[in-house]
Amino acid sequence: MNKLWKEFSKGLWKDLPPFKLVLGLCPVLAVTSTAENGFGMGMAVIFVLTLSNLLVSLVRNLIPAKVRIACFIVIAASLVVAVELLMQAYVYPLYQQLGIFVPLIVVNCIILGRAEAFASKNPPLPAIADGLGMGIGFTMSLTFLGGLREFFGHGQLFGHHVAWAGFEPVSFMAEAPGAFVSLGLLLCAMNYFTNLQRKRKGLAPIDGPTHDCGSCGACGSK
Amino acid sequence: MKEMIKMMVVLSVICGLSGLTLAALKNATEARIEEQVLTYVQAPSLTQVLHDYDNNPIKDRKKFARPGAEDEITLFPAMKDGKLTGLAFEIFGKGYGGNIGVMVGFDTASGNLSGIGITTMKETPGIGARIAKHGFTSQFKGLSPGRARLKAHNGDIDAIAGATISSTGTVTAVQEAAKLFDALKPEIAKTWP
Amino acid sequence: MQEYFLLFIAAIFVNNIVLAQYLGNCPFIGTSKETSVAIGMGGAVVFVAVMAAAITWLVQEYLLAPLGLGFLQTLAFILVIASLVQFVEMFLKKMVPPLYKSLGIFLPLITTNCAVMGIALICQRNEFGFVKAVAFATASGLGFMLALVVLAGIREKLEIRRVPRAMRGTPVGLVMAGLMSLAFFAFKGMI
Repeated sequence: MNKLWKEFSKGLWKDLPPFKLVLGLCPVLAVTSTAENGFGMGMAVIFVLTLSNLLVSLVRNLIPAKVRIACFIVIAASLVVAVELLMQAYVYPLYQQLGIFVPLIVVNCIILGRAEAFASKNPPLPAIADGLGMGIGFTMSLTFLGGLREFFGHGQLFGHHVAWAGFEPVSFMAEAPGAFVSLGLLLCAMNYFTNLQRKRKGLAPIDGPTHDCGSCGACGSK
Repeated sequence: MKEMIKMMVVLSVICGLSGLTLAALKNATEARIEEQVLTYVQAPSLTQVLHDYDNNPIKDRKKFARPGAEDEITLFPAMKDGKLTGLAFEIFGKGYGGNIGVMVGFDTASGNLSGIGITTMKETPGIGARIAKHGFTSQFKGLSPGRARLKAHNGDIDAIAGATISSTGTVTAVQEAAKLFDALKPEIAKTWP
Repeated sequence: MQEYFLLFIAAIFVNNIVLAQYLGNCPFIGTSKETSVAIGMGGAVVFVAVMAAAITWLVQEYLLAPLGLGFLQTLAFILVIASLVQFVEMFLKKMVPPLYKSLGIFLPLITTNCAVMGIALICQRNEFGFVKAVAFATASGLGFMLALVVLAGIREKLEIRRVPRAMRGTPVGLVMAGLMSLAFFAFKGMI
């Protein structure tokens, strides 16, 4: 039980996907113009990630090592198609809003990265815990960034007007440049707090996580 | 060699299973997806083109065979007190950036246009995309189909400046809709007396 | 002719695939620390994106659409792209070793590059014809390369500047990308 909790909770802070591991940046930037879109995207990712972790973990001993990436891709892509169909059937407006970023979940490094780095080496239960944790962490990050951009960009949160009278929206924040800048500043804040914590413990400060493509398991595994 | 065969078998089994599952899911969701598309893509323009009705045109929609073509077309009836007052259907014209979907509404009593609305289009924002604006589409309201041509072709419609292709595409679609409406009249009278 | 000229300008500057459409950000931030690496990655993306757009277009037109399997688009496209990347890698290794040397290490990274798949999907959603799809893929790939090389140039200069510790690496890269994106905003009025 303890171990499951550990696998689950690491995605919530220690290895928070977009901010600590710097994975899956495209949806993080693209769909966070509002909190609602960020939340919806996160939900779709939770669905795909948890089920793909479960399926990969179930078949991990049957798959020959050479074709494992191909198998992971097929599993992830099938789940993404399932999400596309379900979203069209039940939340069509959200599906329209997210546009091509729904099918693009399949190339999100988090899915293949977790399949390769975790699910293919662990039994089903921890794999589900890992997928859920990472997925929820991803959703929280997206909703938070989306809320931030929606508030400053439109003065709203989840489509409701929350800003005080006389608030001037900074439309820059809702557009592409605002996405890059606010994510950059957010990462900077995370690094700052990490180092503040380390200083209190008497440890030397470290540089923040550097991002390179190798950090997502699927690409680095070649 | 043995490994090779195992690889092939595993991959094909996984592909086959996922294909079957997805096909089943597709079948299960198909009806709902159609409903959703109608509600979110067609319905907004339906309220623009049909007036004075107390039924639900989407619920009462019916498919008709298109004369002279193999595909079907979905008609949305507007009814008041159980009597047919108007009809609308979606038709496509060639625009600058792909097809333009036009919802065309007819008043069944007079045969005049009761309005048009743009459902889908990929025209250039700010230029061709202005066909979807009220200023352009409202010109069609109440016209007899014969007058729904561009002014350059002896009609009553002002083309959008700088967007001749988009304007022509819309007008051509409306003309085609009028032709189709005429051809379908006997069928319509039989279905909704 | 004019149509294709506009398509190129729009895809490279106005709707730049990274700076305006948010596609391919992982490699954009990940491989923009050195100009030489950026050029290699950019070249590989142009190469694969054009081939992927062409092949996925054919797959959609002659395989998925006639069989009524449109809903499997995502699955089919990712499989096409993944096997294409493998194939290109093997081909270059055997036939054009010099090119393999410069592009080879980037090829495996491209499977999970959403720019390639994104370009293929945009071509489908906009109902482009074959030639237009290929032209659009070329232009978008070049737009990606342009953004990547320029950002790499900026980040090389930043290496020798004093940047606050918390901003070092990815954060300052993202802020720079944001400023570039703002600069590219100026092209919006062009078309």
